[in-house]
Amino acid sequence: MKTHSVCFPILATLALSAAVTIANVSNNNAPRGVSPSNAKLYVPDNVNNWSCLDGSKTIPFSAVNDDYCDCIDGSDEPGTSACGTGQFYCANIGHTPSNIKTSRVNDGVCDEECCDGSDEYDGQTQCPNVCEEVGATAREENDRIQSVQNEGARLRRGFIKHGKANKVLLTNELETLRSQVDHVQLALNDARDAANEAQEAYLEGSKSEREATRKQQLEPLIQEQTKRLKYASEVRDMLKLTLQSLKENHNKNFHDMAVKGTVSGFDDYIVAQGEKTETVEDDLATLSSDRQFDALMDETSVVLRDIGTLHDLLDGMKRDYNTEYNDEAVLAAVKVTDDFEITWDSSRLDFADVEHLVLPEELPVDSPEAEKFRDAMDSAQEVFNDASGKESKVQEGIRDIERKLNMDFGPDETFAQLVDNCFDFKDTEYTYSVCLFGDANQNSHSSTHLGKFSGWEGDNYDVQMYTGGAKCWNGPERSVKLVMSCGTTTEIVSVTEPEKCEYLFKLQTPAVCPIPEGEVDEQEHQQEQQQVEEGEEHTRKHDEL
Amino acid sequence: MESGQGRIKPSKRRTIVRSVLALGLALACVSAVKREDFKTCSQSGFCARNRAYADIAKETPQWASPFQLNPSSLRLHKGVLTGDLINVQEDKQPSDKPALAFELHLLDTDAARVRINERNPIHPRYDGVQDTVLIKPYGHATEESYQKLGKDENGVLTIQYGAQNQNTVRISSAPFKIEFLVNGVPTVLLNDEGLLRFERLRKKEEPKVEEEGEKQGEEANSDPLVEQNAGGNEIEIAIEKSDLEKKLEENLWEEKFKEFTDSKPRGPESFGMDITFSGINHVYGIPEHASSLSLKATRGPDAPYTDPYRLYNLDVFEYEGDNPMALYGSVPFMLGHSKNSTAAVFWMNAAETWIDVEKSPEDKTGGILSWIKSKKTAQSAATKTHWISEAGVLDLFVFLGPTHRDIFRQYASLVGTTALPQAFSIAYHQCRWNYNNQQDVAEVDAGFDEHDIPYDVLWLDIEHTNGKRYFTWDEAKFPNPTEMQESLSTKGRKMVTIIDPHIKKDGDYHVSKEGAELDVYIKNKDGSSDFDGWCWPGSSQWIDFYNPKARDWWASQFSYDKYIGSTKSLFTWNDMNEPSVFSGPEITIPKDVIHYGNVEHRNVHNLYGTMFHSATAQGLTHRNETNQRPFVLSRAFFAGTQRFGAIWTGDNVASWEHLELASPMLLTIGLSGIPFSGADVGGFFGSPDAELLTRWYQAGIYYPFFRAHAHLDSKRREPWLFGEPYTTQIREAIRTRYTLLPFWYTLFQEASVEGTPIIRPMFTVFPEDEAVFGMDDQYMVGDAILVKPVVKSAVVQSNVYFAGKEKWFDIKDYSVEQGPGFKDIDSPADKIPVYQRAGTIVPKRERPRRSSKAMENDPFTLVVALDSKGEASGRLYLDDGESFNYEKGDYILTEFKVSNGVLSSRKVESATASGESSFTEKAGGLRIERLVILGATAPLKKVTVGDRTVQVNCSLVGGSYVCTVKEPQVTIGKDFDLSFA
Repeated sequence: MKTHSVCFPILATLALSAAVTIANVSNNNAPRGVSPSNAKLYVPDNVNNWSCLDGSKTIPFSAVNDDYCDCIDGSDEPGTSACGTGQFYCANIGHTPSNIKTSRVNDGVCDEECCDGSDEYDGQTQCPNVCEEVGATAREENDRIQSVQNEGARLRRGFIKHGKANKVLLTNELETLRSQVDHVQLALNDARDAANEAQEAYLEGSKSEREATRKQQLEPLIQEQTKRLKYASEVRDMLKLTLQSLKENHNKNFHDMAVKGTVSGFDDYIVAQGEKTETVEDDLATLSSDRQFDALMDETSVVLRDIGTLHDLLDGMKRDYNTEYNDEAVLAAVKVTDDFEITWDSSRLDFADVEHLVLPEELPVDSPEAEKFRDAMDSAQEVFNDASGKESKVQEGIRDIERKLNMDFGPDETFAQLVDNCFDFKDTEYTYSVCLFGDANQNSHSSTHLGKFSGWEGDNYDVQMYTGGAKCWNGPERSVKLVMSCGTTTEIVSVTEPEKCEYLFKLQTPAVCPIPEGEVDEQEHQQEQQQVEEGEEHTRKHDEL
Repeated sequence: MESGQGRIKPSKRRTIVRSVLALGLALACVSAVKREDFKTCSQSGFCARNRAYADIAKETPQWASPFQLNPSSLRLHKGVLTGDLINVQEDKQPSDKPALAFELHLLDTDAARVRINERNPIHPRYDGVQDTVLIKPYGHATEESYQKLGKDENGVLTIQYGAQNQNTVRISSAPFKIEFLVNGVPTVLLNDEGLLRFERLRKKEEPKVEEEGEKQGEEANSDPLVEQNAGGNEIEIAIEKSDLEKKLEENLWEEKFKEFTDSKPRGPESFGMDITFSGINHVYGIPEHASSLSLKATRGPDAPYTDPYRLYNLDVFEYEGDNPMALYGSVPFMLGHSKNSTAAVFWMNAAETWIDVEKSPEDKTGGILSWIKSKKTAQSAATKTHWISEAGVLDLFVFLGPTHRDIFRQYASLVGTTALPQAFSIAYHQCRWNYNNQQDVAEVDAGFDEHDIPYDVLWLDIEHTNGKRYFTWDEAKFPNPTEMQESLSTKGRKMVTIIDPHIKKDGDYHVSKEGAELDVYIKNKDGSSDFDGWCWPGSSQWIDFYNPKARDWWASQFSYDKYIGSTKSLFTWNDMNEPSVFSGPEITIPKDVIHYGNVEHRNVHNLYGTMFHSATAQGLTHRNETNQRPFVLSRAFFAGTQRFGAIWTGDNVASWEHLELASPMLLTIGLSGIPFSGADVGGFFGSPDAELLTRWYQAGIYYPFFRAHAHLDSKRREPWLFGEPYTTQIREAIRTRYTLLPFWYTLFQEASVEGTPIIRPMFTVFPEDEAVFGMDDQYMVGDAILVKPVVKSAVVQSNVYFAGKEKWFDIKDYSVEQGPGFKDIDSPADKIPVYQRAGTIVPKRERPRRSSKAMENDPFTLVVALDSKGEASGRLYLDDGESFNYEKGDYILTEFKVSNGVLSSRKVESATASGESSFTEKAGGLRIERLVILGATAPLKKVTVGDRTVQVNCSLVGGSYVCTVKEPQVTIGKDFDLSFA
């Protein structure tokens, strides 16, 4: 190396001089950039040669860190950027040692990971040694994280305890319930038979009187419902007309996505309409009063659903359209929507302040014979209702437990604690909510479904997917990726939309705090001992919920 | 459906409905561009009129141009020939119209200029394009440098000119025609087809259509050819001609398109002329079109296109491939090339322009196709073009070379060369509509470091602003833009924000308010009220960059104290500058709006975007005292745009077709004087799959401007999001770009001096090889590197053409191919064919770094590819990459040459060296750490520099030796000789 400086006395700067320095700077026997633990790999053989770490080549030991890449694996240049593929060791005294990519050595950037500044030694960039401060801050931060993790782990152990106990408990409960199924089923069947018999007897005994009474009773209701159907049909046609006119007259040059979405949604609607086979009732008059009424109700609800769909289209546009375009066709449609919305209750899919007509109970027919039959029928019905109640309670219980047992709460049942727990997050525009293992929504003045829990992503039990949410205009169905990190409380810390209609929820929760290794088994052991009493406690809690 | 079949069951009916729907859907997918929003030639009055004139000429036997030069009016003085041009047809009628003024200028660069203008029109025709497009008053040929050879018996005036007297121009008076000859061979012919037409400005009067028709009818009847035909035909032809004659008088004044009316207060003022490239089959240029490099015929039998190529800057949504429709930019420059000659023309006009291309059949056996022209004698190959502009004056430059390099230099001496860019701007740019907030920016930035992928610039699209008010920030999303830019800047990275020319109409918005106060907006046709249209922010106004006050005011908006939140590392993106007006005709501004100086927009439309681009570049240059070069990307462009920054090919689509289209489009734009261009990697609309994205990166690293961009509705696609093996493949591609940055920067410097393209069509490097004249699926970077992008799915082999008789070396594994000829080359998922040509030396920096800035102090590698004579040459240009100090000579330009076993390095001394030399002093010590010598016939045994022996290792790769010289201990700042044997 010395010969070089003789040959190039003028080149006092930069790389050549750097190369000269390198050869001389090899502290603690380890060449620059090599960690103390790897120092033994960088020792010359007896003829002062050295082999690349992958064994591919033997070079003079002087070629190590000579700022020229000899080895294919880059192992000869741990202290320079010549190969750029290896690791450079920063001692970071006062903080923690670290390895950075050798491609970041002498690149003019004071790498954060290399707080001692040893990565920039060519004299082009001065990197102060900030390890003392960085170290202190890091230690503080470490302490904080450590205490969060400790607390988180403690809480998580509780989750696990709960989850495991709960699972046993639910399994037991399920068994109990299942053992009751045959019994309640049998009782229900018997009761049903008895009730049917009693009813038949009653009907046979009072047929003609009942029919006459019934017709009189339902007449005004049928008239009322016919009126409602007519009105609803008119409203639907008006909304269709509004959308048709929007479609034809809006200014396509504005590329307003909200308007485009509504128009294409309307096209879809029309197509769907075209595909429906018209179910025209033959002749209402020939039907019994009950069936007439039912048919009217059915038809009305079809029309109301249509109105709901059309309103959704208009409302979607109304919420998102660009108010600055002043497109007359759009403004007209918005006006219609505004006027219409006063009269409409979208949660019930019906006009506001309208109560649904309900098919009334048959009026009792006055005759002692019939009365007797009816009393018998009523008491049989009561028995049946009771049996049916018991049966469905058992079935419901089974379904609920099965749902929970089928859920993947992680290998240690941590997430049983959080099932159906709901969390909100407010940003400037919206409030986002998620019920874990349930649904995610975006709420402002109305609610948009972002997706339903569809499973875990990866094997770490810290990322959940919620999919199949409301479809975006000109985009996919909305979905949520929920990413969890360790915290002492469970809450949403941020919500973003990295790409259109695909949301990212960040949730902190003890459920993903690391539990120190080895502790888990111990926990399990303890848990088994306590299982029974814990289980009982949790049952009480569960019932309260 | 037959009625006899009776009723169709509902289920069947449903099926029918479905299939119709499916068909509709399929059609919608194929044709994404809304063709009906844009005019065809027949919907554009002046285009239809001039085309009808060409039809008349074609169908009239022995057609002769009615234009004649008045021989007694001709004067030749100091390189300029002037005279009166008369339309004898017009003169038949009682007319007191003065003749047209004709000028022919011979330039000191051997170029020629032809101008035709009205003398004493009722109001002046717009002649201001030259003021903004030409960089400086050019010099005329000195009187000693040309020779007037006098008139021959036919009144043809001949002048010989050019440095070697190689050029001749022959001017015929009756009919008017100009022929340019190179070494006696006719090359460029003007009005040879007699299509010159010049609509004189006039007062509006009632059209006399009938009279005209009658007159034409008489002429047709007296035509001997028609008389030969059967009686029935005679009438038919007569009627047709009369229809054509009528077409000449259509849409002269008010003109409608869709719901828009162009008021055209000055009436018709279009003109057209034919330009023939004699003996030339291939013509190139006139960007921007989504079409092939070699232009296709738009006229004549078998023409692939029915409409002419159109130049009218427009915002075209999801444009279609293989189409002459107008796009975002226009350069009326056309170059013709054959084995024997090369010539070019520049039609200096910024109004709407259409160009028909017609090719004479190369092979005369297809004579049946040209029966109409049968009376004309069989001609040699020629490409006939017909240029039609809506307004202004006819102003044409003719460049006769004789080589491509001469033409590029001649053209650039008029419109300027590309500005030497900021070094970072030729590295990799990461863009998306939109990076949502500061957090998003930080995460993407960190993602590059985490995956060890270099990048230099992060871009913010329109959503970063407060309600599309440019020069503002959405404070909720970007609360601290300065900090954000500084954080990128510590790693040598920059940021670009978008700034568009439409200004939201909002009294509380400082730019809008100042603009109104200074009265700098484009006016309605009444000339007084401000034009108001629709764009991203809603109701908007457009700045009139023709107003000098507006330009200076606009430029001042970029100063740090005006553009709050901007820093030294923030640069600019000018979009929507065609201009795009959502509520306007063809999505642009109406032609009758008024600019400063009472100039109608129709005269300057194609220049508007460039004026904006130029004012922005001026703003960035003057925003500080730090002597920094600007960087501004523009979508619209015109001749001269290269002086202000880069352009890209606009809103392309994530499809294989658009990946394929990018090469011919960029080659065309490059040879038309704008070398700094790129296409959005990945495709703007839609979501590419991993394979397409990877292939696009592999191709995109060889675009002069290299940026990935994506639409708001598309899936995220940062380079690591598809996982392995794609992340590694994309990383490898981007790193390859970074290793070649010294080579690219050297090419940019050459372009900035010589006007040469950076990526070059094969025919410019191999001008005598006819096999490459139509080739646009492979191309050269400089003269050294051959690139053949893979543009189809599931391809593992590519058919590559190796031109010339020398070897080609794979730039990755140094394997060798021998030219000439086609060969199937492996192109597996991780590589596309890229070869270094024997005889070249390519400078590289091979150390992986995270940004180009981080490579500044890195040593170099020279890859020396020896040709069959054992020779090679190359160069390296280096400066500080950001300041204007290179203008004071503070740069290093080194030429490398190998001959007789010696590699010599010689510094080219700067002619302007003065004072500033801090960079030269600092970088002169940068060493060449490695030489890779390819093509040696035997392993090198000894390498020496002076009396010092240098280590060399050779290995055999596919029958050829690859020798690596380690640490020759030489620098780029000092001359050396390195011998090898």
